[in-house]
Amino acid sequence: MRRTFIRGLVPLAALSLVAGACSDTGDEGGEPAPSGSGAAPTTGGTDDTGTTPGSVATGSTPTTAEEVQTGESLLDTVSAADVVRCGVRDDLPGFSSLDDAGEHVGFDADFCRVIAAAVLGDATKVEFVDLETDARFTALQSGEIDVLVRNTTWTASRDGIEGATFLHPTYYDGQQMMVAADAGFESIDDMDGAVVCVAGGTTSEGNVATEFARRDLTVEVQSFEDVDLLQEAFIAGRCDGWSSDGSQLVGLRSSFPDGPDALVIFDDIFSKEPLTPAVRDNDTRWAQAVEWAIYATIQAEEYGITQANVGDMAAGDNAAIVQFLGGENADGVTLDAGLGLDPAFAMNVVSQVGNYGEIFERNLTDLGLERGLNALWGDGGLQYAPPYR
Amino acid sequence: MATTTGRPPLWRDVRVLAWTFQIAVVLVVVAIVFWLLDNLRVNSQRLNIPTGFGHLDQPSSFPIPGSDFRQTQPVRDALVEGFQNTLRLAITGIALATVAGVLIGIARLSQNFIVRSAARAYVEFVRNVPLFCLLFVMYGAVVLNAFPRVADSWDVGPVAIVNVRGASTFWFEGGNWKFVVALLSAGIVAFLVARWRSRIADRTGTPGRTGLWALPTAAVVLVVVWIVLGLGATAPEIDGARVTGGITMTPEYFAALAALVIYTSSHVAEIVRGSIQAVPRGQGEAANALALSGFQRLWHVVLPQAMRIGVPPIGNQYLNLAKNSSLAAAISFPELTKVTQLTVANRSPAVPSFALLLGIYLVLSLVISLFVNLANRRLAIVER
Repeated sequence: MRRTFIRGLVPLAALSLVAGACSDTGDEGGEPAPSGSGAAPTTGGTDDTGTTPGSVATGSTPTTAEEVQTGESLLDTVSAADVVRCGVRDDLPGFSSLDDAGEHVGFDADFCRVIAAAVLGDATKVEFVDLETDARFTALQSGEIDVLVRNTTWTASRDGIEGATFLHPTYYDGQQMMVAADAGFESIDDMDGAVVCVAGGTTSEGNVATEFARRDLTVEVQSFEDVDLLQEAFIAGRCDGWSSDGSQLVGLRSSFPDGPDALVIFDDIFSKEPLTPAVRDNDTRWAQAVEWAIYATIQAEEYGITQANVGDMAAGDNAAIVQFLGGENADGVTLDAGLGLDPAFAMNVVSQVGNYGEIFERNLTDLGLERGLNALWGDGGLQYAPPYR
Repeated sequence: MATTTGRPPLWRDVRVLAWTFQIAVVLVVVAIVFWLLDNLRVNSQRLNIPTGFGHLDQPSSFPIPGSDFRQTQPVRDALVEGFQNTLRLAITGIALATVAGVLIGIARLSQNFIVRSAARAYVEFVRNVPLFCLLFVMYGAVVLNAFPRVADSWDVGPVAIVNVRGASTFWFEGGNWKFVVALLSAGIVAFLVARWRSRIADRTGTPGRTGLWALPTAAVVLVVVWIVLGLGATAPEIDGARVTGGITMTPEYFAALAALVIYTSSHVAEIVRGSIQAVPRGQGEAANALALSGFQRLWHVVLPQAMRIGVPPIGNQYLNLAKNSSLAAAISFPELTKVTQLTVANRSPAVPSFALLLGIYLVLSLVISLFVNLANRRLAIVER
């Protein structure tokens, strides 16, 4: 019921865009400084005053326009609030689900902690906000969350229309098909005329329809908002196939009531799904801070820095590693990359959460997911961090 | 204090004060609306979120189950498809809820203890359960758990095949317009026959038996036109893991319709009961004195007068049903709300999309109100 309640909030959240300007003011304590990130056109101010009717309205308009021009970065807001509001979900084992104590655990949840460790120096300062699929971008746009880490595929139109800026993909995924082991399907080609259930509000519906059309097969795609209801419908025989990102299917299969062996996942991967954290458009400082928090985990794995040895590494004699962890070099100088982060942010990330490989192994390896495309670039994968210098 | 008879000063003049206050309230409301809209515009611009309706011409990127709608068609067509589904739910729901509600309302006043108690239990139970829960029970418990898989379908030849994928029955085959022509001609003939019979009844005083005459004639006409136009029929068949042919009602539609009808009929029943009780007792007693049968008493004397009282509140229930149909989105029936959610999840901007959604429901409700008002005017006592 609660999740449905959250979905009911979508229109409300949309309307709360309206009130967005007010909440910005509430959080701003410091002097409004001209910021390079505020991308509102300077002409916006004159337009506003020119077109706004009514005396009361004109009174409020300059404030709004001023905020657009000098809007502070979320980086300052988050630091002042001392908590990162992270949009996740609570129902996807491996990526983000609730453990017995009601804590969020999983790959995405850990990346929320990575961001908190980098920005605030404390991985526990995360406020997890559970979102339905179709509420996630509205929540991001309206400022209900600071960052969206909710196994979200980076696509061109989401970049362009949803007002989201996507950062570095934390997981390279692709859509696959899962069927009951006893259904008699060997591959998608056997599934002509089948009913396929997907989680609604995602790229999955269109991908399934496109893939079946490409293979000259007919299909009926039934989409569900709620994964639990989807699973119930699948068990009841409402649908032949269950399609989603491969990583999700593996997670869902692992917690399937009849045991994972009752389900088969076909090898065909028929879409590219780079699962990528996103922030709001036009806030470069915040985007860079979050992006480098993610890179820090990848760079740490590349350097071989783990949660266990990070202390030794920081005190070691590899100059590049010492610099990365925010230590003083041989001449007593510390590199501040100017990201608005503590120079020791990578140290905080690795010591409190771990490097990319540790996060992956902790959450996803047990589910049966392999590194594959998500191996480091040196191992034939795609995970690559720009140099830290 | 010299001018005790003159007008009081402006700040004590009740009329001036009233006007000033009302103008001030209007100004404040208008200012707040403008301020909100302007914030919306500025914030959307800042976030590069489109505020127009250009998305209606973009590809939808999702198919709609239970229809031929493809993912390559524009968002506009998806909304039309969703609206049709809403209408299917609302119109059928209103018809069924009326019939069920009237029957249960009459049963509430039955002299038979069992009938009366059963009707009362039904009304009291259903009326006090949230519709949303009823919907989930219908879908999650009844449809998904009580209906068989395709292989074990309840199979009654060509008449019905029921399983968890839907309920199928035989249906016509051929052009849509031919089907409409066949139905229309049968309907017109039935109407003419009924009018002819009732005129005879008026003139001679013999029972008209309009239904007995009209329905068989209409059936004959339907069959003849069907054959003349060359319409075929298709029956459902189990073909491996699916049912082909015939016409299929999706389980989501069934669950949504059932929940809406069950819920609304309990409210209609209470209105019908109250309306019947509001008809003066003497009317029923007079009918008895004329030796009318129980049915005649109800149909010709009590119900027409009760409906005069019941139509406005029943109209409200119709509005509720039409608006409540949006809850079917929760069990994935692709009606207008669900389709709007899908479009918003597939790139359409949220604010214009939901504004459009509100506008469409507003128009739908106004149209239903219009029909209810027309019916009310017809039923009202014509005063001379």
